Amino acid sequence: MTILGFIRKNALRNRRRALLSVGSVAVSLFLLVTLMTLIRELTIPPEDVGASLRLVVRNKVSLAQPLPYKQLSLLDRIPGVVAVTPFTFFGGNYRDEKVTSFAQFAVDPVRFTNVFVESRSSPGQIAAWIANRTGCLVGMDTMRRYDMKVGDKLKLTGTFYPCDLELKIEGTYQGSVDDRTVFFHHKYLDELTGDPGSVGTWWIRVAAADASGDVVSAINRTFQNTSAEVRAESERSFQMSFVSMWGNIQVLIESICSVVVFTLMLVTVSTMSMAIRERFRELAILKAIGFRRREIFTFILAESFGLAALGGLIGIGGAALFWGLLDVQKLSNGFLVYFEVVPRTMARAALVAALLGVVSAIGPSLAVARTSVVEGLKTLD
Amino acid sequence: MDTDPIVEVRGLTKIYRQGETNIVALNQVTVGIQPGEFVVLMGPSGSGKSTLLHLIAGIDRPTSGDVLVRGINVAALNESRLAEWRNRNVGFVFQSFNLIPVLTAAENVELPLLLTGLNAKRRREHVAAALDLVGLTERARHLPRQLSGGQEQRVAIARALVTDPLLVVADEPTGNLDAKSAHDVLGILQSLSREAGKTVIMVTHDPKAAAFGSRQLHLEKGEIVA
Repeated sequence: MTILGFIRKNALRNRRRALLSVGSVAVSLFLLVTLMTLIRELTIPPEDVGASLRLVVRNKVSLAQPLPYKQLSLLDRIPGVVAVTPFTFFGGNYRDEKVTSFAQFAVDPVRFTNVFVESRSSPGQIAAWIANRTGCLVGMDTMRRYDMKVGDKLKLTGTFYPCDLELKIEGTYQGSVDDRTVFFHHKYLDELTGDPGSVGTWWIRVAAADASGDVVSAINRTFQNTSAEVRAESERSFQMSFVSMWGNIQVLIESICSVVVFTLMLVTVSTMSMAIRERFRELAILKAIGFRRREIFTFILAESFGLAALGGLIGIGGAALFWGLLDVQKLSNGFLVYFEVVPRTMARAALVAALLGVVSAIGPSLAVARTSVVEGLKTLD
Repeated sequence: MDTDPIVEVRGLTKIYRQGETNIVALNQVTVGIQPGEFVVLMGPSGSGKSTLLHLIAGIDRPTSGDVLVRGINVAALNESRLAEWRNRNVGFVFQSFNLIPVLTAAENVELPLLLTGLNAKRRREHVAAALDLVGLTERARHLPRQLSGGQEQRVAIARALVTDPLLVVADEPTGNLDAKSAHDVLGILQSLSREAGKTVIMVTHDPKAAAFGSRQLHLEKGEIVA
């Protein structure tokens, strides 16, 4: 027999209780990992390598207010600006879907490829898209989800705009942070709406990330006191403005996380206290035959830590596996894109499990340490 | 027999405090025990016999006085040294056996050896010898619930002996046993004293059990009266 074997036998002496303890830790940590992943999904916008070089320019009054097309020539001339494209949200529905899982943006195809340089696409397809006024470029995720092929027709029913798009898929792209979006010619939208003078936003690529602050200031200054004042910001800042809308939900989810951890702590401490109280006499015997306080504490800690670690392994590993195998994007109808259980989330949950193991061992260990051998022997006499 | 006592108890006093009241469990007890003796502590409930046993075995602290075992003042050792001392020098046998229910007989006997630094092979040899001494070699792999009361107590004796201690202390070891099992257990303790030269100190109420000892000490109200 080894010390580890002794600890294992003690931990499993009441198999049902051990199973329920491990199960409660596992389920709680599964829930915790899920909630932390949800918070991450809602609060941390996906970022790609090109994002640090991109700026978004919108109407200072509201995102819903359009910007005049004539701003383009001024933007092109601002020092530090490498490329500019109009970027207008269409918001159409595909087929009979109530909420379509992919967004559609009207862009200038030539300028677009200079702004979103990290997306991978075949040059032939890009050329075909540029050449076809009603052509579009579709992200690979959307192609796969709807079983689309290059050359297919793509009809989108307008919801914001009083017009529908009838597009032809000329190419695909992948390697961006969100490979779902459909891009089409701004000129086509201008034709359909009869308004060639407006765009939703401008997306800009700057020469260097450390110069973006100066470029932002220059853009804002350029259109100051004009009929369409603008607000320029980094792509991340633009994304975060959407994230801030989730503020209260984040607080709510964090509160639930805290309750989960607190309840889990109570359950584990209570379980370990019961398990040790039942063995007070045995622990007194161990002390009598020569085991010291620190060894008894090690036994209790190892048992408590072992149960918490096993529960943690099942809960955290289970969550990573479960959410990894599940097509969350499809299940959430595109609301959740990645729902990826990242190592940082797993590490934080593992830390919670480790703390549970340690904290739940402290109370019983102190009780055993405070009790003399003689008192311990009398407990069940 | 060696004339130097293995255990010297000098002016031993133990006072328990219950609320505002002081209860004198032992009052200035002085006694010597020779190596190889089988000393039986007798007396009515509350006479202090178990307290004296606990103090000699180093599982309780005296209010005043000294307990010297082979010249070491047990009462002066700190908690950690005392635990180590008990592991090397004292074997315990209790009334309710106190075996660990999830461990087999052999594993229960092996427990004190886990602290000794012996390797697994040597530990197994010691365990086999101890179980052989109490006649339970065949039951080595049985769990306590698969043993009779008498067998459980014999396993407890094997556990007490496995480290080859100076002292074997037994607190009412036959209290939970039938007459036959009690006789067997007392026979083992007696042979430990007579044949193996172990010093055995036993607490009992039972005069029949006391007859197995080589010397009887009677306590009343915390003092040795005979």
